[in-house]
Amino acid sequence: MTTATASRSVPALARRASAVTGTGTLLRFMLRRDRIRFPAWTLGLTLLMTYFATALDTIVQSPADLAGMTAFTGSPAGALFGGRGFGFDELTLERFLAGQYGLYVAVGAALMGLLTVVRHTRAEERSGRAELVRANVVGRYAQLTAALALAATMALLVALLIGGLLISRGYDPGGSLLFGASVGAVALAFAGVAAVTAQLSEYPRAASGMAGAALGAAFVLRGLGDMAAVQGSGPSWLSWLSPIGWSQQTAPYVHDRWWPLAVSLAFTAAATAIGFALSARRDFGAGLVPPRPGSPRAAAWLASPFALAFRLHRASLIGWSASLLVAGLAYGSFTQPMLDGFENAPEDLVAIIGGADNLLAGFLGMLGLTMALTVGVYAVLAVQSLRAEEAEGRAESVLATAVSRRAWLGSHVAVAALGVPWLLLVAGLGMGIGAAVSTGDAGLLGDLVLGHLAHTPAVWLVLAAAALLYAAAPRALPVVWVVLGYGLIAGYFAPILEIPEGALRLSPFEHVGEYPLEEVSVVAVVVLAVLAGGLVQAAVTVFRRRDLAGGA
Amino acid sequence: MTAAIDIQHIDKSFGRVKALDGLDLRVETGTVHGFLGPNGAGKSTTIRILLGLLRADAGQARMLGGDPWADAVTLHRRLAYVPGDVELWPNLTGGEAIDLFARLRGGTDPVRRDELCQRFDLDPSKKGRTYSKGNRQKVALIAALASDVELLLLDEPTAGLDPLMEAVFQECIRQAKDAGRTVLLSSHILAQVEVLADQISIIRQGQIVETGSLTELRHLTRTSVDAVTDRPADNLAGLAGVHGLHTQDGHVRFEVDGDQLAAVVRELGELGVQGLTVRPPTLEQLLLRHYGDQRVRDGAAQVRS
Repeated sequence: MTTATASRSVPALARRASAVTGTGTLLRFMLRRDRIRFPAWTLGLTLLMTYFATALDTIVQSPADLAGMTAFTGSPAGALFGGRGFGFDELTLERFLAGQYGLYVAVGAALMGLLTVVRHTRAEERSGRAELVRANVVGRYAQLTAALALAATMALLVALLIGGLLISRGYDPGGSLLFGASVGAVALAFAGVAAVTAQLSEYPRAASGMAGAALGAAFVLRGLGDMAAVQGSGPSWLSWLSPIGWSQQTAPYVHDRWWPLAVSLAFTAAATAIGFALSARRDFGAGLVPPRPGSPRAAAWLASPFALAFRLHRASLIGWSASLLVAGLAYGSFTQPMLDGFENAPEDLVAIIGGADNLLAGFLGMLGLTMALTVGVYAVLAVQSLRAEEAEGRAESVLATAVSRRAWLGSHVAVAALGVPWLLLVAGLGMGIGAAVSTGDAGLLGDLVLGHLAHTPAVWLVLAAAALLYAAAPRALPVVWVVLGYGLIAGYFAPILEIPEGALRLSPFEHVGEYPLEEVSVVAVVVLAVLAGGLVQAAVTVFRRRDLAGGA
Repeated sequence: MTAAIDIQHIDKSFGRVKALDGLDLRVETGTVHGFLGPNGAGKSTTIRILLGLLRADAGQARMLGGDPWADAVTLHRRLAYVPGDVELWPNLTGGEAIDLFARLRGGTDPVRRDELCQRFDLDPSKKGRTYSKGNRQKVALIAALASDVELLLLDEPTAGLDPLMEAVFQECIRQAKDAGRTVLLSSHILAQVEVLADQISIIRQGQIVETGSLTELRHLTRTSVDAVTDRPADNLAGLAGVHGLHTQDGHVRFEVDGDQLAAVVRELGELGVQGLTVRPPTLEQLLLRHYGDQRVRDGAAQVRS
């Protein structure tokens, strides 16, 4: 009798234990694998916070400076890109830090949470490594449990580090810890979201993509809600639909309320429970959402090297367009507060912008140069993708058909070259709209669009130089970054570093003129464009002479 | 007979590494030519020179009557290529890649394309990043076989295919041959070449070391003999053309050069044979003789020089 009971209860016990058996071992193993990533994320987020705090200290020298900041942060645009700004009517440094910059630390923490979970669950399953792990004495839920435990450890550490950092700067300990906890709560919430999305798709990229989309939605929801709150009308309750919103509603250093974090934790618990439930309903390695099949046939237009190049660059162009539009809007909307802020700025700083008399024109010209350099980065990356095409053997397959090397390289460069003015236009439009709304001067839109587009030939020259380097000596391609780096130094620090005029002219970005501060030089536009054309011609010629790398 | 490929004394170095060292290769039009060699022997380098992706340092190469480097684009309209390691674009489907390759080559037969997709059991609506190695290989094979071309350059085309698909592949190559196409089939899967090839060239360290039909090559090789005899067979070791003789309890094993076989068998008969197994050389042995046994190879080199 007793033996029968015992023998029956042993398997029952074993079954109960088995679902999470091995979690501890897996967690230690994950910590070992993430020995770089773990400190990189936790210390990185703390460093980001340190940077914000130090930068704010440098900018704000007097209470008047601080009051000047609220001109922007109190506006709807400021609410969209920061938060609703609790206690900004009696602004202090720590309130500004938490209310304006806290958002970006929270977004970083959210990325940490969701990427960590996907990396240790779906990515492992996809690679087939998890299969080896699961074949051992490891329970069905162990992998997900360990991944969540890892993310929770990171979140807790980030909360403590950031809280400690703020206390060490002399801010109120209660508020500092609450702010740290708010950041950690966002990481937890999105670890929970990722626990769900990791069950949905077979592919890690799709899993992080879906979780990232949820993060984007959370950002926008609380943005709209905060804008409404600042304006005093509209659906300010939208902020309460967002995990980021809950963390912001704690209002550290103002109301110091902890209870919104309970909402956050409840959300995390619910999402985690759903994740576990879903994971039990699917096969190992499979997703709940079946992979979407693509077209079994190529579209009729996909029939030339140029069409192929466009198809391959399309996704990146869309991504760049969206980012530059948003960045443009964000930077542009800083125009007015920037002007206000610079009224008392040190002389050196004003000199960079173009002198006290031309603050607005100088600032706008500066924005144009910044975007031109950014689009330069796009151009170099576009050429770098050709190196990958070659090294990974895909160029070989195309060049083995009736496509000449001239057509192959030419098509890719042509697509990138067309992308340059397009991206400058998008960035200019974003900046223009942002600046026009911020200052109330609609004329700035035209100025900024023209100022951005005028940089096209300079970026073309960078593109052409990259293409020539790729064609002649692919390994030397990174050298082209020097051109962009020098463009940055020459453009921003020439007045401080007292770079002589002749040396300054070496940068392709110093010829067209930073409209509207300077007139656009038509001669420079033509000369740069012709030079770029010449370099591309040389690139195509040289490329026909060399061996193709890669493949076997 | 005209040659679809005629390579004369080609050299190619990568830095200090000599990949091809005076390579000669002649592929007759309308034949299936097996191109055998171990990894790193120079098979892929040769094919990539034929594709105009690499330029030979010295020597002459003609393909379909043109110069592979200078006339690359016009020649590529008349040939199709399948690399050993097929890489596809992660966000294009297999079907899109097949159509794209065919169109870039200058047209395809849509009926044959669909038929091949079915025969190779390929789902063309999946994205490139979701295909296994074997499926990526199928994509390249279908794109090549569906094109109306004179020459197929296949670089280890079935490395990732299962036996069932390999049978389909062999059928397709036979059909291609019947249609009058020329096939250069590089491989280290010997059984495949044995089944398909009319002619075989063996490459080693950038040189062709043997070339001819399988029967011709067999004359150059040794036959394995395994026998049980009444009387001890140790004396056989002294005969010309006998190598590697082992005896144990009346059991004898040795290899014999093809041209000495008759004399050795006569001698063996005198010893009272009770059991006899004679195996023709497999291509593995052909290769082993060229790559496996360093001493034999060195000896051969001395004899040649």
